[in-house]
Amino acid sequence: MAEPSGTDAARDLSGARERLSRAQAGLLATLVAGAPVPPGFDADRLEVQRRALIGKRADVVAKVAPELPQILGETVFRSAFAAYARGRPMTGGYRLDALNFAGHLLEQGADGRKGPAADRSTRRKLRLWWLERSGPEPLPQGRIRRRLHLLRLG
Amino acid sequence: MEGTGTRVRLGTGIGWRSEIADGIEALPGIDWVEVVAENICPGHLPDALQRLRERGTTVVPHGVSLGLGGAELPDPERLKALAERAEALQAPLVTEHIAFVRAGGPQTGTPRMEAGHLLPVPRTWDALHVLCENVRIAQEALPVPLAVENIAALVNWPDEELTEGQFLAELVERTGVRLLIDVANLHTNHVNRGEDPATALDELPLEALAYVHVAGGFERDGVWHDSHGHAVTQPVLDVLAQLCARTAPPGVLLERDENFPAVGELEGELGSIRAVLERHGSQRAVAHG
Repeated sequence: MAEPSGTDAARDLSGARERLSRAQAGLLATLVAGAPVPPGFDADRLEVQRRALIGKRADVVAKVAPELPQILGETVFRSAFAAYARGRPMTGGYRLDALNFAGHLLEQGADGRKGPAADRSTRRKLRLWWLERSGPEPLPQGRIRRRLHLLRLG
Repeated sequence: MEGTGTRVRLGTGIGWRSEIADGIEALPGIDWVEVVAENICPGHLPDALQRLRERGTTVVPHGVSLGLGGAELPDPERLKALAERAEALQAPLVTEHIAFVRAGGPQTGTPRMEAGHLLPVPRTWDALHVLCENVRIAQEALPVPLAVENIAALVNWPDEELTEGQFLAELVERTGVRLLIDVANLHTNHVNRGEDPATALDELPLEALAYVHVAGGFERDGVWHDSHGHAVTQPVLDVLAQLCARTAPPGVLLERDENFPAVGELEGELGSIRAVLERHGSQRAVAHG
């Protein structure tokens, strides 16, 4: 396969990187950040890929934070995660993603008590899970001390 | 950095995953295993993996996060981590993917984004030049030869300039990198992109073949999902047979990452793979005899 003589790509590697960077960022923004479909792509296929990425992301989050599907129930976990992940690209690791997802559900629950964490008992378990992992230090041992600590956190 | 001249004979293997560690240890005839490089820590190898190594089983680290097909230079820290794993495992080679896994950042006007999965590189001259430079940088940083894998794609890039086979052939010619050919991914690209595996196999340089991946998936609404969580299907074994009719692969590896079945089922799949290898091995012997 002979490279077309008109292309100076060999000498223009930084240009090639720039063009590729724009193209890849455009495609990935569509797949994970809710950007419009770039010209020339099949919108239906991108939707299949977008769903597949969210499904895989949910799989890994369920592995690093198995308590979340336990607290929410598998079906609610899946649908709530898909709603959270749509248009919210993953920027750090999966553990941070799991924390952000739980935080998002708690905020959603606080705002008019809606969503998957609206139920009081679910909300309490989720909040405890989130607090145990998001703070600068582990929660104190013992039920009373822990409860006092959480009260102080508000 | 090495060319394609020296071939390591690996045999038949399976992707080592902690969920099936006990089963793998009990399976007969496992010559080698592959581990996801990012899932292990060089100083603290899992006991089950360590026992396999002591038994003489070769372990090959398989990276998933370098994004060699991405627009950026490969991250030196990630390369160093991969090199450390190759050394800790005394691996004869390491493998990665022809894919991009992240994009964006200040220069593109979009935030930095992680795909969390392997996404296809456009088969253009631009992407080929970038990939070749990234592969050369990786080869310099790694203590053992590198092989790169063709991925499964759901998405087609518009305005591609090369076929998959041509793209891989140019990559090998320019870098001396070896190839890890995933026959399930060739099947995926057949269903999803209408690309005939036979054409790709005819075009790509099989002398650069390091080993072959075989995996299961499923078809839904005319789209093949390379799930690694379902049984290996006959069409995938047929692509393996097409490959084996052309060359004797130095190694073949069964991948299963999800929805783990009883180990007997994996043993059955390994048996089907071995049957394809033996059938074509004897046919080649007759043809060349």
